[in-house]
Amino acid sequence: MTDLASLADDGLVDALLMEVAAMLGRLVDKGETASIDLRGLPLSFSCIANLEQRLGRGEILVQLDAAGRSELRETAFPGVWWTQHCDEAGRVIAMLIEVNTIPDILRADPIDMAASLRRLAGVTHHAAFRQASHA
Amino acid sequence: MVESETLGETLQRRGFSRRSLLKFAIAMTSSLALPPSVAPLMAANLARARRRSVIWLSFQECTGCLETLLRSSSPTIDALIFDFISLDYQEALMAAAGTAAERTLREAVAANKGEYLLAIDGSIPTKDGGVYSLTGGRSNHDMLMEFAADAKAVLAIGTCAAYGGIPKAFPNPTGAVGVEDLVTDKPIVNIPGCPPVPEVLSGVLVHFISFGKLPDLDDRKRPLAYFGTTIHDQCYRRPFYDQGKFAKSFDDEGARQGWCLFELGCKGPITHNACASLKWNGGTSFPIESGHGCIGCSEPDFWDKGSFYTSLAGGSATGWRNAGLAAAVGIASGAAAALSSKLRAEPAKPRPENKP
Repeated sequence: MTDLASLADDGLVDALLMEVAAMLGRLVDKGETASIDLRGLPLSFSCIANLEQRLGRGEILVQLDAAGRSELRETAFPGVWWTQHCDEAGRVIAMLIEVNTIPDILRADPIDMAASLRRLAGVTHHAAFRQASHA
Repeated sequence: MVESETLGETLQRRGFSRRSLLKFAIAMTSSLALPPSVAPLMAANLARARRRSVIWLSFQECTGCLETLLRSSSPTIDALIFDFISLDYQEALMAAAGTAAERTLREAVAANKGEYLLAIDGSIPTKDGGVYSLTGGRSNHDMLMEFAADAKAVLAIGTCAAYGGIPKAFPNPTGAVGVEDLVTDKPIVNIPGCPPVPEVLSGVLVHFISFGKLPDLDDRKRPLAYFGTTIHDQCYRRPFYDQGKFAKSFDDEGARQGWCLFELGCKGPITHNACASLKWNGGTSFPIESGHGCIGCSEPDFWDKGSFYTSLAGGSATGWRNAGLAAAVGIASGAAAALSSKLRAEPAKPRPENKP
């Protein structure tokens, strides 16, 4: 890559980092969450790698297995997450910077929890029946 | 799927979590150039949505559009979305034939009057009373006008349906035209390409199901999110164009170095499509990445715009004498890109006729 292109990449990364800082400020002050769709921006591979490197790595790495793998990684800046979603063929379908205490997709959905409660009730019912028949 | 089920219920019955749906919505908002914050709303709307009837008519076509859509590398959740659409009539895919097929079509239209999406692939011949393409003795023209009348919206899939395509190429012996030349009182979405990028159809359908309206369109009725920029503006070879580095033949050193294919006839600077970002074959590559210039297949009259190997500056890889013209085209396309970016930043409101 030419020096000119590198310079342009650095400028883009700087601008994005300033945007992330502003978003994190709003999360701290108002509890406002936000995210940046990296695939919606004209970023080169080197630019994305540069941005990822400058955000660094934090303490949490979560792998999600839902219709393909996802990786949600806290950056070196708590509250700022690097998120990558893949489909079942391993193709990247979304890449985001999320500014949130925890990415929303990690929270259990109330409807899923209600369904799991019903399933768990079935499991405990069977367990109770087994114990009663052994007694 | 049970007819009365919502998508959320279907997902739950099949063991998919809401996380899967949210993940799909995140991917679709990215694909549709919507803000990521819209994803939870899209997921919630999709979970509440019910099956939408689609009636697909094939006219003067080669079946390439249907082939590519069937062979899209869809993840499971994507396949679910297609499950969620009731494809009530498609001659190449349905088991029924003859009068049974015609009955199916009538029943689907009657049951979903005013609510179904009409998908068309292929152009419509208008010369000599439209005799050049008939189904069950009826002309494509008559079928289009009848079934468009009760449709919520019409999707013109592929360049033939959108603009007439190859059947319309000179001398256009059948008088072929696109859907928009005949249907003037219904919302129309053009999804051109020869063949079209399958993910664009997914995006349009998901937008329609989750928000109840068609996505924003450009002045050629194409989804702005996918057709808002040119292939040239998204091309990974663009830096070589800007540096004046052009391949002169398909096997010279420039070609091996991956330089710009402008002088070999690439139509990327005047072609609006999503190939360079969404790519083909599961995101593997697109024509330029495979070493061939864009042929501009998603633009009107692409077949009549001269040789695929003649540069937009008028030459055929004849060396640097075209550089001046190339620079002029570059400046023009740069200005167009700036305007296009502005349009993306401030999407134009869809014209009233494009709102179902």
